[in-house]
Amino acid sequence: MSAALPIPVIQLLQVLTIALGAPGVTGVIAKVEARLQGRRGPRVLQPYYDLAKLFRKEALAPEAASWFFLAAPLIAVTAYLTIPLLIPVLTTYGLPLGYMGDILGGGFLLSLASFVVATAALETGDPYAQLGSSRAKTFSAIAEPVVLFVVFTVALLTGTDLPYALAATVRSSAGQIIRPAHLLAAVALFMVILHETGRIPVETHTGTNEFGMIEEARAFEHSGPYFALLKWGSELKQLILYTILADVFLAPWGLASTQQFGAVVLAIAALLAKACAVGCVVAVIDNSFAKLRLFKITEYVSAAFLIAVLGVFTLYLGGG
Amino acid sequence: MDPAQAPGVYEGVANVIAAVMLLLEFGLLRQALARDQIRLYMAQSALLSVLAVVIAADRDLPDLYALAVLSAALKVVAVPLVLRRLLGRTGRDDEEAPGVAGSHTLSPASAVLAGIVLAAIGFFCFGALKIHGPAAPALALALAAAMVLVSFGLMIVRRDVASQAIGFFTLENAISLAALVVASGLPLILETAFLFDLLVAVVVFGMLIRAHHTRAESLSTADLTRLRG
Repeated sequence: MSAALPIPVIQLLQVLTIALGAPGVTGVIAKVEARLQGRRGPRVLQPYYDLAKLFRKEALAPEAASWFFLAAPLIAVTAYLTIPLLIPVLTTYGLPLGYMGDILGGGFLLSLASFVVATAALETGDPYAQLGSSRAKTFSAIAEPVVLFVVFTVALLTGTDLPYALAATVRSSAGQIIRPAHLLAAVALFMVILHETGRIPVETHTGTNEFGMIEEARAFEHSGPYFALLKWGSELKQLILYTILADVFLAPWGLASTQQFGAVVLAIAALLAKACAVGCVVAVIDNSFAKLRLFKITEYVSAAFLIAVLGVFTLYLGGG
Repeated sequence: MDPAQAPGVYEGVANVIAAVMLLLEFGLLRQALARDQIRLYMAQSALLSVLAVVIAADRDLPDLYALAVLSAALKVVAVPLVLRRLLGRTGRDDEEAPGVAGSHTLSPASAVLAGIVLAAIGFFCFGALKIHGPAAPALALALAAAMVLVSFGLMIVRRDVASQAIGFFTLENAISLAALVVASGLPLILETAFLFDLLVAVVVFGMLIRAHHTRAESLSTADLTRLRG
């Protein structure tokens, strides 16, 4: 067989897979979405070209903005690139840095990234950027309880809140997959992911329509490489969330259980395939539901909350 | 805390079906059209039949197959048909069925939160009873109890006769679910009697809906709060 890879290399590969795979996954989703709407759509590699173009452009900053405006995209991308160290991207066994933080640790990093981008948007004084970040903060605060209840379910199921432990539990038997607590938590998480990646209920994720503009608006004042970093950041966030859903909750199969080179390569391919599959489902859902009015968002989140709470309830009676 | 043990595939399936039925009950809380409410009711009843088949296969109770078929015929086909005809007749010619849209007394999000509280009460009260039958996943029973309370909630927060009728029918679904999981060996004749009770309820509610509609020219019960001579 092929040679075994040293552990640090695998750990690095986890980050590289996410970093380099994210624009590609976005490209696949855009292509599928275009096909669903009867268009030919952009090339799958288009997001890479977009990023390359933006990285070559000059960067401008508003006069009144401080150094933080330019530091924020860097901090955000750094936070996003730290998360793949904590979650099972390629391996079933925990890598040394994987126990640096649990699911909540990953959540903190995601919030940190979102917080610095929002703060940078405040620096600009641009009403659209501020509107976007204020909406993003408000609505992510509403979605927070759902995430917490999903984490509680994981904690009750496994006795810990390490993502590796849940993936191992799900793999252990069919009874673990079919139990209501697991299914409900997975569905609730999926709903939060749809919301967080700007699919439904209100956003058009690429649109610049003021009524449903949340994530897109925040980067309005950034340009050149900084804008590229923000775009790349939201693609990273999307792939990270898909990875958590696929590798921890829905399908933690196809991960490498050894350090063999072949197994790791297979795991990279499996991860990207799973992420694209999740992306296709997301694109279908995105295109088959009407967008809601902005303040109807509470109805959507309350449905997700209901599902997450039921997940925890079912566990309390045993049997869940 | 120790990790929770997995309950096994049979119980898992039974519990998931019960949980989805409860979720459909919550769907009824939010749904604004009578037509869609009837659809949700059909889905819920169909799931009940599926659960009966699952229990029949697992516990080797051939009676339950007959019950599943009978219950599906009645609740997935007959009752929705009757309800649609009734609502169709009360509607004017230009609309197929009257909407029940304006009948929320709470906003959908608050109604769902209130429903969660009700479901929690049902859950933990039944959990405290510690009923363990041979075929009874304790969880499915608690889910049935939660469904009973949420369907009461549905009847309370909606101000139109159609939603209230559907709430009542789903109440019957919840009780059938409880009967299935606690006493799946219940004699077929008793179960059938329950089903025909439901038929009576449908007829009575049908009469009520029509009588109310002819007198008040709406499905809303809001007009009934003051006495009329």
